[in-house]
Amino acid sequence: MTILHRFGETLRQALGTIPLEFVRVLFVASLVLLLIWILRLPRERVVPENGTGRWDENLKLGASLAIGIQILVYLIM
Amino acid sequence: MPDAENTLSFADYVVVALYLTGTILLGLWIGRRTKTGEDFFLGGRRLPWWAIGFSLVATDIGGTDIIGVGGAAHRFGIAVANFEWIGCVPAMIVGAFVFIPFFYRTGVYTVPEFLERRYNANVRTVMAVCWLLFMACNLGLMLVASARMMSGLFGWHEWTCIIATAVLVGFYTCVGGLAAVVYTDMIQCVVMIAGCLAILFLGIVKVGGISELRSRLDAIPATAEQTPAETEDDVGNISAVEGVDARREATSLILPVDTPSPFPWPGIFFGLALILSPAYWIGNQAIVQRSLGARSEFEAKASYVWGALLKNLIPFIVAVPGLIAIVLLPDLDNSDMAIPRLVGMLFPTGLRGLFVAAFLAALMSSIDSYLNSAATIVTHDLYRRFVNPDVSPQKTLVIGRSVTSVLVLWAVAFAFLLTQMAEDSGLYTIFQTLMAFFQGPAFAILLIGVFWRGATGYAAFAGLLCGIATSITLYALNQPAIYEALGWQPLFRIADPFLYFSVWAFVVTAIVLTVVSLFGPKEDIDRSRYVFRTAFGGGAAK
Repeated sequence: MTILHRFGETLRQALGTIPLEFVRVLFVASLVLLLIWILRLPRERVVPENGTGRWDENLKLGASLAIGIQILVYLIM
Repeated sequence: MPDAENTLSFADYVVVALYLTGTILLGLWIGRRTKTGEDFFLGGRRLPWWAIGFSLVATDIGGTDIIGVGGAAHRFGIAVANFEWIGCVPAMIVGAFVFIPFFYRTGVYTVPEFLERRYNANVRTVMAVCWLLFMACNLGLMLVASARMMSGLFGWHEWTCIIATAVLVGFYTCVGGLAAVVYTDMIQCVVMIAGCLAILFLGIVKVGGISELRSRLDAIPATAEQTPAETEDDVGNISAVEGVDARREATSLILPVDTPSPFPWPGIFFGLALILSPAYWIGNQAIVQRSLGARSEFEAKASYVWGALLKNLIPFIVAVPGLIAIVLLPDLDNSDMAIPRLVGMLFPTGLRGLFVAAFLAALMSSIDSYLNSAATIVTHDLYRRFVNPDVSPQKTLVIGRSVTSVLVLWAVAFAFLLTQMAEDSGLYTIFQTLMAFFQGPAFAILLIGVFWRGATGYAAFAGLLCGIATSITLYALNQPAIYEALGWQPLFRIADPFLYFSVWAFVVTAIVLTVVSLFGPKEDIDRSRYVFRTAFGGGAAK
């Protein structure tokens, strides 16, 4: 056993003590944080420069939908 | 010998011929507008967001993925879908709103070019060479993977498949450049999705519905047989490892640390979601290049968002068929044959042509992108940077086409080398391992350089080299021939720990970059225009 093996084994054992339910929360929480970040993006970063102001020109919609599906997937599977 | 179930009829050949003819004609038609280097490498910056979005997905899903992801799902369970979900979608969204508009404003052709502006020429050159090596090897891998599949399924000669694919893709890529690549990718993406949806639909019907599929997967014994792995091929196989909860492994995205598969959750979360995925979607030239060809910065962002939406669908059509194969083909011993065997079982004569077209579409859409991007790197990061900086736009086009032709020849030669090697590992794993060597270090210098003004060129170069050396060392120390010679145990417990290589390589690069930047030589050149806060706060970084 080298120092690398001992370090790796310690890390592996530490990570192995984390329950999978908590890991799922970690995955989903990361996605939720990303969703919140998307929703808080300033308007000028999500609409075209000379846009008409139509709702479907706002990229927040598509981005939120993409991440929303991910949240559902990681909640269910 | 061809699989008797997979004999193609005249109607199948007609479907394949229609697809190939349509693709070539479209590529030629697009090629008429290609007059300069900018047309060839960036589509004249006239590409629409919807075509780029399709192209992003088509490029990412290659022929190796249609076989490999389905095969990995058959072997390891649905956890392989992480590569298409958390391993793609979040990074694409972050890329859309942070990195892609930033690159677009700088007006660069390649990611290594951006790295030179931010750091120095050494960093650019190392990254250009890394990407070039990766793309060039990957071209050969993709050709071999497709040829083996077509040979196994239909009895076609392996070499005929390799040469035919290389010539067809090389032809329209050479003529039309990135625009031809993007528009043909769009058609290829639709064909690919249609073919894979057909497998999914017919597979679920054959099993008896989604609930029946679920219940039959749940019927896999909760604890696999108490027989340790006896052959090398059994390592990492969920049904062959002692004490593994095979039911959970087949149907769960999140696997424990001690899973025998290559997808334990720390690897997926830290290695894939936080490092390899953003490195791929933000730093991979073959991916980023098409968004640099968008009509506007907004369309570049929109293409990534559209791609992310499409990406949500992909695991259902490429990974779930692997689960269907667990149920329908319980005695299958070679997971790479899961999807081909399903096609033979499910598709009637006449419909198999659709699958062949889908497979060819996936394959061609990846090969054309890597061809064009590799040619871009050779032309811009090597030729124009070191040989002839004042080359005219027309000459650039000639060079781009010449390099593309040479790369096609190289791909065929490398494919020949690969066909002489033993096939002792999944193709998908080989692909991932190649990227893991330098993706982590590349992402570390990109990320830190974009967000930290204090990062210096010396430090980035040192960090990059140390990071790549770390990946290669870890890989070597995990090879039986080496650790047995040293009298060691393997460093990692899981099969194919490429996700962990990238984590440690990223960490080493970040540490070296930070320490050398703080305590090493300082630079006089002001590169703050290529730092996110300065650039977005003070206008475009031209």
